[in-house]
Amino acid sequence: MKEEQERLTLAIESSCDETSAAVLRGGRTLLSNIIATQIPVHQKFGGVVPEIASRKHIVNVMPVIDEALRQAKVALNDIDQIAVTYGPGLVGALLVGVSAAKSLAFSLGVPLIGVNHLEGHIFANFLSAPNLEPPFMALVVSGGHTSLVQVKGYNHFVLMGQTRDDAAGEAFDKVARVMGLPYPGGPQIDRLAKDGNPAAIDFPKALQDKGNYEFSFSGLKSAVLNYLNSMKLKQQPVNKADVAASFQRAVIEVLVAKALEAMHATGMRTLVLAGGVAANSALEGRLREAAQAQGIRFYYPSTVLCTDNAAMIACRGYYQSLAGRFSNLYLNAVPGLDLTDMDAEN
Amino acid sequence: MLILALETSTMVSSVAVATEEKLLAEITVQTRLTHSETLMPHIQEVLRLADVQKEDMEAVAVSIGPGSFTGLRIGLAAAKGMAYALHIPITGVPTLAALAARFPVPGAYLAPLMDAQKGHAYMAMFSWQADELHTEQNIEILSLDEVLEHCAAKKAPVVLAGDIARKKLASRTDLPDNVSVAPPALVMPRAAEVAFLGLQQLAAGKAGNVMDMEPVYIRRSEAEVLWEARHGKTVS
Ligand SMILES: [Zn+2]
Repeated sequence: MKEEQERLTLAIESSCDETSAAVLRGGRTLLSNIIATQIPVHQKFGGVVPEIASRKHIVNVMPVIDEALRQAKVALNDIDQIAVTYGPGLVGALLVGVSAAKSLAFSLGVPLIGVNHLEGHIFANFLSAPNLEPPFMALVVSGGHTSLVQVKGYNHFVLMGQTRDDAAGEAFDKVARVMGLPYPGGPQIDRLAKDGNPAAIDFPKALQDKGNYEFSFSGLKSAVLNYLNSMKLKQQPVNKADVAASFQRAVIEVLVAKALEAMHATGMRTLVLAGGVAANSALEGRLREAAQAQGIRFYYPSTVLCTDNAAMIACRGYYQSLAGRFSNLYLNAVPGLDLTDMDAEN
Repeated sequence: MLILALETSTMVSSVAVATEEKLLAEITVQTRLTHSETLMPHIQEVLRLADVQKEDMEAVAVSIGPGSFTGLRIGLAAAKGMAYALHIPITGVPTLAALAARFPVPGAYLAPLMDAQKGHAYMAMFSWQADELHTEQNIEILSLDEVLEHCAAKKAPVVLAGDIARKKLASRTDLPDNVSVAPPALVMPRAAEVAFLGLQQLAAGKAGNVMDMEPVYIRRSEAEVLWEARHGKTVS
């Protein structure tokens, strides 16, 4: 293989409703990151329809790869390795990317690297912040997951805690849905909350005992639904902006408090935000303030790298390749793949 | 022309290497393992058995449907990747035609079926005319009773093939006299026929476009059907 910094990784991501391909040189030099989004297709159904997502992926997968190579000005034969998301996500959607990636790796005779999507979200930060290096604490907040991960090295993670029920992003989407906001709900709540009073309604916050790094958002979600129902029964008008702001505050306060407590407990001085919900401006703002007040370095990915994309998969794949963590042609999609402790020292 | 063919429209995983005159190797496996796990290892193995290099491949053919949505996509994604990386043409072979091609019997009708769920089948009807497969009836979604009615109406022998022919029809006591169900080894879709029909299609200039090919689903997604029922208009 070439010098590590010259190694070219082609990555494919198809875990949900974005088909994406990217080309990365070494670990940090992003040459292209093409994303074909399906959001408008799923909007009228109020959420991602798995079968429709899979149907779009099989049509989009080769064009995004072709465009990623073209924009990177790289020939397919120059690619040194192929990285692909194999979970977590929608199984039918994942299978399109995994099948294409395996076929390309086999045809080109290059190594295949199966990547955990959640690890990819964390690694998006390495692309946004070229100087960022482990160790740091990562707060992963997405539609499917909410986790605190101690990143001790590029292949050394310790899971501090995760959600027991709903993910934060899931709560955002469900609350948005009952308020009649279009899919995807997260950005809608974020926007609406800017005009609301975050102290208007006191929604509950779960698992606030010290040293508990687990999350739970189903109670909060139910409280919001109950509130909306009771107002309806009483025939009282609902101030949607206040509901959005108060709900969002309850989510964010828990996330910020637990992240900071985990930092203190482990002595970490760098905090990294990752996952689709990292694009939430209020969350990013509150974490930034809290970090600044305590002299903690804070990173979050640029907007395009917050959403699902193949660039982050390429970056994660590159660092896996340095540790020799390759996959074989039996690689399968694992829809329920979790973030787990990983203990390689490099 | 050396062609690699993939057939993943049912539980059967089948891959073959062939030229116009010869089937060099075929691997056909019907187990519980998923296509996603086994397809690429089977491709690697069939090339080894045929004693050819992947770089020697001149075309790739893939069973394009109807069939299992996920199975079809796994096969098509693999075929696209190979066609793209090896710079070779790709062609999508109608799954039901490939099934019918196993029975070159002049004077008979071939009625290949694929499971369409909920007691229904995708059915097409073919016959042999002048050494070629001739389409008598295009793909329809029929109940199993309707399948038998269509067959009974023919004034000639009809052979039923396809994954549900044995499973759902072979044991029925009301099979019309002119109908037979293909035996287990012939009833399932296999890559050899996909290879030969693929070669014919390519010779006729019918190559697919790797950039926009999609499976032949026939059925739309359930979500779209429900949405249209609720809104009284088509999903644009
Ligand atoms: Zn994601």
